[in-house]
Amino acid sequence: MKNSNSYTAIAYLFLAPALILMGIFTFWPVAFNTYLAFGNYDLGSGHVTWNNFEHFKYLYKEELFHHALKNSLLYLLIVPVIQISALVVAKLVNNKLPGMTMFRAIYYIPVIAAVSIAAVVWQNVYKYDGILTWFFQMIHVLPEGVDGQIDWIGNPDTALYMVMVFTFWKGIGYYMVLYLAGLQAISPEIEEAAILDGANAWQRFWKITVPLVKPTILLCTLLSTIAAIKSFQEVMVLTKGQADTYTALYYVIDQAFRNYNFGRAAAAGLVVTFFCMILAIIQFRFFGDKN
Amino acid sequence: MAKSKTITKALELFGQYTGLVLFAIFTIFPFWWAVSVGLSEDPSNTWLFPRSFIPTDPGLMWFQRVFAEIPFMTYLKNSTLMSIGTIVGVVIISVLAGYPLARLKFPGKNLIFVAIIATMMLPMEVGMIPNFITMTRYLGLGDTLTGAILPNLAGAFGIFLMKQAFEQIPQDLIDAARVDGATELQILWRVMVPVTAPSIAALAIFTLVNAWNDYVWPQLILSTREKMPLAVGVFNDLTGPFAVSTSLVMAAVVLTIIPVLIFFAFTQRYFISGLDGAVK
Repeated sequence: MKNSNSYTAIAYLFLAPALILMGIFTFWPVAFNTYLAFGNYDLGSGHVTWNNFEHFKYLYKEELFHHALKNSLLYLLIVPVIQISALVVAKLVNNKLPGMTMFRAIYYIPVIAAVSIAAVVWQNVYKYDGILTWFFQMIHVLPEGVDGQIDWIGNPDTALYMVMVFTFWKGIGYYMVLYLAGLQAISPEIEEAAILDGANAWQRFWKITVPLVKPTILLCTLLSTIAAIKSFQEVMVLTKGQADTYTALYYVIDQAFRNYNFGRAAAAGLVVTFFCMILAIIQFRFFGDKN
Repeated sequence: MAKSKTITKALELFGQYTGLVLFAIFTIFPFWWAVSVGLSEDPSNTWLFPRSFIPTDPGLMWFQRVFAEIPFMTYLKNSTLMSIGTIVGVVIISVLAGYPLARLKFPGKNLIFVAIIATMMLPMEVGMIPNFITMTRYLGLGDTLTGAILPNLAGAFGIFLMKQAFEQIPQDLIDAARVDGATELQILWRVMVPVTAPSIAALAIFTLVNAWNDYVWPQLILSTREKMPLAVGVFNDLTGPFAVSTSLVMAAVVLTIIPVLIFFAFTQRYFISGLDGAVK
């Protein structure tokens, strides 16, 4: 038998590739980004000159950043909608009925499609004479003809919400599968006992399903909250930040790779990270009472 | 009494299937429309609904034009190379790192594990600026496939998934191998890896889908058109000057999604069982 010291060496040897790569591409960026936030990055030489809180003072005053942050927070509206829907859909496909595997697969297709490619199709769905306009005209929500035509992602009143609908469509299958895994861990006897006691479907859902999948709800809400705060892929591919869909992370990428102001971008990124952490802590407090 | 129960059951079933079908329509309609438009040689019905959901004058003309006008095969080759490289890297690194975290005792174990998991909470898009600097200035890997792959190799998800899988294995199996004089690497390779094959398969599948669809980072780091993967190359072509007709665009979209769909059809059952491990 080996002594514990040799395990230490082996453990670190096995962990080395992961730790080195994460060190370079995950931990170092966090540290370097924090440092960059307090300085000016010179593109030519790669030097960083310390400038105290200049970037933060600028961001504090800048209208554009406030607006971007507001849009990112507005994006959080999608979290409860997507979570409740995903849980309901998971509940629907959790029954042992014919065709369930097929339905699960169909719901998962948007998840496995590239966001950029799916966006190309959705740009056409959202066109003023596209499928969405037709649908609303068909159910008589919008007037017929040109009067009822809306450029859904070109109109500042609707664009951000339309990007959210796209996020919903793209992501619900992913959360559905996570909830499905949670639901399958619940033994059917509990539900059968509740049926015998005369509990209706609504009561069973709130009194049994929801409490028992609480850990999954925490995980999924956390994932989707962070995803919502850092929403920008969808914005980038659907609207390019036009029509009042500019989000905080879009601001970060824009400042860095269009304005080449790496310092200001890093400072904005730090603010976004800060919001992510605050929200994560709130959720752990709220949901994680036992664990 | 028995009769009304059957009726309630039937109504409930009907309601369930209605819900399922309606939701299926919601998730599938954009692609259905894309397929139909791509297959329509006559594009005059593209914006006529619901007529456009069925191809007009069906044929493969637009698909042939995609191959003629977009370097589709080059993008496909790049996507394949990127995905294979990422899968091999992620699986090796996650298996190696998951084993000590699950089965060995060593100082700093908890700290390392918490640090790895904590990265899941951070918006890693923020790390793109430093990574871009590291990649282009210090590693000289700007505009290379290696540069596009490298930051994705060590991720918390893979390490966590493998750790969970290794924890399920009975200790007796490991002890027996140790008594027989196996080294830790042999235990990992001969005992742990075969037993956790389903989890490794699930990890490989998830990695493939992520690598195949990765858009933001490759888009930042790659500038030569010939080096771009499908998700970047096709998107740039379709939203740029090449996008001359909706029919052509939709045909390209369908072609881009087909490889993922074929792959998904074969590996579907692992998607659900694979995520199972991540939840528990």
